[in-house]
Amino acid sequence: MNTNSNVYTVIYTTIVVAVVSAVLAFVAMRLGPAQSANAKAETLRQMMSAAGIKPTEELYATSNADILQLYADSIEEAYTIDLDGKENGRLSTAADKIELIDKLKPQNKAIKAGSGATLPVYIFKGGIAVIPIYGAGLWGPVWGYVAFEPDCHTIAGAFFDHEGETPGLGAKIKDEPWFREKFSGKTVEWGDEPAFRLEKNAEATGATNAVDAITGATMTSKGLNEALNVWFKAYEKHFGIAAFFAALSQHEISEETTQNEEE
Amino acid sequence: MAQKLKDTILNPILKGNPITVLVLGICSSLAVTVQLKGALVMAISVIAVTGLSSLVCSLLRNTIPNRVRIIIQLVVVAMMVILVDQILKAGEATYAIDKQLSVYIGLIITNCIVMGRIEAFALGNKPIPSLLDGLANGVGYGLILIVVAFFRELFGSGTLFGLQVLPAGYVPNNLVILPPFALILLGCIIWVHRALDKDLQEE
Repeated sequence: MNTNSNVYTVIYTTIVVAVVSAVLAFVAMRLGPAQSANAKAETLRQMMSAAGIKPTEELYATSNADILQLYADSIEEAYTIDLDGKENGRLSTAADKIELIDKLKPQNKAIKAGSGATLPVYIFKGGIAVIPIYGAGLWGPVWGYVAFEPDCHTIAGAFFDHEGETPGLGAKIKDEPWFREKFSGKTVEWGDEPAFRLEKNAEATGATNAVDAITGATMTSKGLNEALNVWFKAYEKHFGIAAFFAALSQHEISEETTQNEEE
Repeated sequence: MAQKLKDTILNPILKGNPITVLVLGICSSLAVTVQLKGALVMAISVIAVTGLSSLVCSLLRNTIPNRVRIIIQLVVVAMMVILVDQILKAGEATYAIDKQLSVYIGLIITNCIVMGRIEAFALGNKPIPSLLDGLANGVGYGLILIVVAFFRELFGSGTLFGLQVLPAGYVPNNLVILPPFALILLGCIIWVHRALDKDLQEE
């Protein structure tokens, strides 16, 4: 047979490609459930790392089954809010119902469009509120989870991840524990423009809502900075008011104590 | 015949090592050798991909239209790489390593060793020798990867497979973790290899 004729070449390549796609489709279907179980456990690890339920290293050394149990033990409630800060839905707190990060992309679009967003808020034991953030890095999406103390103003912890940032540069947002640890104890200034700064020399200004960008990863840092601010802005009406009341009640308590002392 | 088979297996590991002699696959050997665990998974993945792609291409060798043979090879290699990636993602223990290796598993497709062995060997040889040639080249690659990762993890983090081996007072050498050190280490391995093997020395 003439293996160099055009007809043969076209038919041959068609068959090869069809066979390969069939094999890959079959394998993807068979392995899908196991992969999504892994992805869910990974999402839970990232959320609980941000919330400070356990040290990140310990979470990554824990098996999937134990992670699900740990999440069930530490989650209090989960709900969604719209862009006006009002609750518009409940989320299941069952560990296998957790929303994966691919749900964040449409929400990111909804935030930018200004309507139709259902943004998740996860409340862990002790009143720690965890919210996701999502945006574009240099090569692909970057995302993460930011946890707030009960005052809705101080960041309790954060965890960032990415799809394909450059290893050793942009990938540091995930690989270097010191980067995410810098966020603990910082604040988000609801209502300010921007609410948070991830910029060059930001820490030198002494502001509590600033973290230095990563050297050599300008585009990743910029993308993460935008992701943080876009999502903080979306949660502003929800957390801004909560933070105001939290501060107010704190103020009242301290006033009461001073009065008591005077008496 | 037995001698030829032995050469097929041993040559890529020693005299014709893809990294130290052919200087192929350098990119990934600099990138994934910070930790032994990652290097080991990468080595096994490459062994599987080179072996299976060579086997499949050798089985198809008499039917592949010559004008599109590179494309057909690419499709076969790409399929193997995706399979490896999917399997790593499905395993509970390998999921985190797959995420850590991130793009480098996908980039096995661009590893010159894979296509190089298909072009140079699999298209002109029977399936079984081709499979062995592919596997042996993968082993030759993996061996260097593990040697480099051993030194980098030991001196860069003071650990081996994540377990502390150097005394707690050891200050990790940050240069060792950076890719340039892998290149220096690789240079040293090539130097030792050439010094030991007279056949590799140039006039």
